[in-house]
Parts: sequence; structure tokens; C-alpha cells
Amino acid sequence: MGLEYVRISPGFERYMPKDYVDLVKYGQFGRQVDVQQLGQFKELVEEHPMCAGCFMAYFIRVFYAALPNPEDTIVIGTAGCARLALSQAAVPFVYGNYGDTNAVASGLKRALTIRFPDKVKDVVVIAGDGGLIDIGFGMTMHSWFRREKFTTIMVDNEVYGNTGGQESGMSPKGVQLKMAPKGKQFDKINAVELAKVAGCVYVAKLAPTNPKRIAKTIRRAILAARHFGPTFIHAYTSCNIEYSIPTEKVLEDARKREKQDFAFYEWMTDEVREYFEEIEKKTEEVKA
Amino acid sequence: MYYVADVNETDCAKYNCKQCVLFCPEPNTLMYHNSKHVAWVNYSRCKGCAICVYVCSDLLKRNCIQMVMMTAGE
Repeated sequence: MGLEYVRISPGFERYMPKDYVDLVKYGQFGRQVDVQQLGQFKELVEEHPMCAGCFMAYFIRVFYAALPNPEDTIVIGTAGCARLALSQAAVPFVYGNYGDTNAVASGLKRALTIRFPDKVKDVVVIAGDGGLIDIGFGMTMHSWFRREKFTTIMVDNEVYGNTGGQESGMSPKGVQLKMAPKGKQFDKINAVELAKVAGCVYVAKLAPTNPKRIAKTIRRAILAARHFGPTFIHAYTSCNIEYSIPTEKVLEDARKREKQDFAFYEWMTDEVREYFEEIEKKTEEVKA
Repeated sequence: MYYVADVNETDCAKYNCKQCVLFCPEPNTLMYHNSKHVAWVNYSRCKGCAICVYVCSDLLKRNCIQMVMMTAGE
């Protein structure tokens, strides 16, 4: 998109919707915000139709606040809950067919590299467990095998939430759902290990209990994807409807799952680690 | 009638913590007032999930946010 497309032409300010004017005046474009400042600036994502207390919506809110360069980012999503909020943000959003998000992202990233050779354009895929590991499994894997330079984020709600509660490959073993009354027979797929084996250079797994850490992980995944290769984040974003979690207990549930099987985990290749150490050294020098 | 979060400003101003703002799933809804140092709710956007009440009362034991019923136009 670029910054010049965001700004309002002189004389047109009073004809633009208030939310858009606020976005340009008090938004994230052209400046770096800290996730701790949430609630003190106009956020990129607008009102969306996701359920009350949805932690996927929360993750997406933090995701947009954490983008290192929102004016030069393109988000790709697919059918599923996440797209309801992703499409309400002031960042270009491409709707891939169910399952082909990573194939679309591969083509888009290559095209952007040719079209804007002197600029960095970030491509980020955010899709659910169904879009990436069930139905989109082949395309996700092959984009990693080809070492395409973009970030893949899986918002894992462990169920097909939109269509009435069918089990997905990421549902935990034994869990009873509306459309899986006998309980799931198989184990949860280990997506993090698959990503490592398939050639991702940065892999992380988290539960959204600490906004600062989510933001840091997302920034790292995007920066590593710019220079080295595919990156992957596996985020636990509970479905409070299908798993019958009272809305006020959603954060409690995330904290509980963090202690069980969603402890924060980060893995990166040596060259990526060196790159981050160099960046951190530079920022400390600037601070000092 | 809507079920929304309501911040007690006198109690909230004592702390300067912003934690509820950081955990609200809705964008531009639970905001932080920089000069008054309090959180405030945009009632027309609040969906009433009460995660902020969990953060304020259960985690931090500060009890500054309550859920209230509100009629349109209030």
C-alpha cells in the first residue's frame, strides 16, 4: 500500500469518515508503536463480528499492533473465524481459497519482490488449524519445502468453529465435540516439529497470555522471514463457544493451557539467532 | 439493554496499571486516558465478555471494573 496512499489529500479531511481520519492522525502508520501502548492510539483493526471474549480476536488485535511495518504488509487469510477480523483492518487483506493460502502467499511474495526490488514488503498468512494443517496441509508444507520468505501464523482453536464443531487434526485426543460425539480418536498433530523438519528458520509456539511476548514473537517471525526463509508461529486461541468456556474464564483457560501443553517455545537457526543478537546489540547502543 | 463493562474512575486512578486494556479482545473499546490515568470504556463497542473484570478483580485484586446493564442512549 505504502504511506502516500494512506494520507488524505488536502481539503478532503472533513469528507472522510471519522474512523479513517483518526487512523491517519493517531494510528500506527509511519511510526513504531509499542504493544504496551495499546488503548492509547487508534488501532489498525476495526470493530469486527467475532464472538464476545474470543481470544482469536485478541491475538489478531495484538498481531496488528505488533506489525513492524503495517503500511508495507499484506495479510492473507482463508475461510474460518480469523478472516472476520482480518478483513476489518486497514492492512490489505487477500482471501485465499480454503487451503491455498500459502500457495497464494508464495506467488504474492515473489511478485512483490520483482515489482518493488528496492522495498521490503512483508507477507503474512494467518489461518486456522483447518486452513493450514488439515485442508491446506499440502500447500503449507510445500511452501516451507520451497523456503518461501513469508510468515505463517496458525491461530489454533482446535475445532472447526464456523461450521458447528467438527474435530480438526489439531483437536486434542479424546475431546468430545458437537460433531465428534465419540471423542477424537487420534493425537493432536505436532505442527511445530513438522515446521522445523520442513525447513522453517524460526518456529514458535505460544498461548496468548503475555501481550509483550506475543508482539516480540510476531516481530521476530516477520523480520526473520524477510531475510532467511519461512517462519511459523503456532498460537493457541481457544474457541469459547465450541469448548463451552465462559467468556470471563477465557484468559484463565489460556493460562491453564500454557502450563499444560502450550508453554512458550521458540526455536531458530543459528544464522537467525546471530541476526537477532546483532539487532538487539544495535538497539541497546542506540538507547545508551 | 446491553451488558457492558464500567470502570470506577476513582479506584482506577490509584493504580496506573493498564492491564485490562492490554487484555481486551476488542479493538478501540477499552481505552486508556493518558492525562487522567484511568481506563475508560467505549460502551457502544463493548461486547460484555468480562475478561477485563477477570484481569482487574481475579488476577490483580483491584476490583475497579464492574459489569452493568445499560439501555441504548444512556
